[in-house]
Amino acid sequence: MAIYNLDEILNTYGDGYLILEFNHLFISSSLREEVWLLQRTDDDAMVKKIMHEAEEFDIHDAKGDKDFDTYSGGQKAILSCLLIIAVIRNRKINGLKLLLNNVLNSVSDDNRSKLFTKFEGIRSTHNTRLFTDKNDHIQEIL
Amino acid sequence: MEIKKGKYSLEERGLNFNLSDDLDFKNSECCFYFRGGNGFGKTSFLEKIIIPGLKNDNVQYIYIGQDIRTQLYTLRALLSVQGIKVSDNDEVELLRLWINHSKSATVFILDEFDKYFPDYGFIFDWSDSFIRTYIIVTHLGYSRPDAVAEKYRTCNVRFELVDFDGRLKNVRVKKE
Repeated sequence: MAIYNLDEILNTYGDGYLILEFNHLFISSSLREEVWLLQRTDDDAMVKKIMHEAEEFDIHDAKGDKDFDTYSGGQKAILSCLLIIAVIRNRKINGLKLLLNNVLNSVSDDNRSKLFTKFEGIRSTHNTRLFTDKNDHIQEIL
Repeated sequence: MEIKKGKYSLEERGLNFNLSDDLDFKNSECCFYFRGGNGFGKTSFLEKIIIPGLKNDNVQYIYIGQDIRTQLYTLRALLSVQGIKVSDNDEVELLRLWINHSKSATVFILDEFDKYFPDYGFIFDWSDSFIRTYIIVTHLGYSRPDAVAEKYRTCNVRFELVDFDGRLKNVRVKKE
């Protein structure tokens, strides 16, 4: 039995879903680089927006150039969610199916609740559908 | 191994801990649950205070960290060097072998393992014959099921952010 099987997740869901997976949250090493990769430009406004929203989650020391490895696991999970929400808003992406794998259970109850509120916001404005892993299946949670 | 109440500073990680109670890891059979907000230093407390203390006292331990991907690769390589082969996709068996080969350990540390297996009772089944203390970082609101609770005294430890001075987070660590 596999504890952690990224290949299976990608094979099963990779075509239809954008997948955030706890062990592979980012490609690069900082928020600024990650935004650059997704926006194809140095989008300082987006970086600042994410840093500002991160404060709601008691992440007061977020910085655009701060190495992801210096954040805790849960903080990284939160930042990855804020990043994808910012990109969905900025690029007006509609109807995205987002699969969170081992992400929401990496954050505390109150932070999970705050994330849900933000995801509910983009569900209403951008029809984003939110899924999470449940045993060997996924379920739609928003 | 005991960690006395008092102040512990990890400036390189931007954390100051104020430990309100002694944490006694030498008295058997206890199950510590570490809970608290994200970034309040639960893993740092494990890695920079508890584990060095265990090493200093020559206490053997098993540690399953949050980044299980790297650990599984390392574990597979380690067992391979020892001539123990595990099929590519059987990671639970990999863990079972590791635990079975670690019977000199008396402390078992699990950092958010429950996100991979919400019901991880098998870990206890494999280890409770030799482990005296479990230290579990979790975001789940509940503790282990009855079978474990009967054998191990539960000690809930809460990490609370007191303030952030722009550079350091002051975190209170206390038993509940």
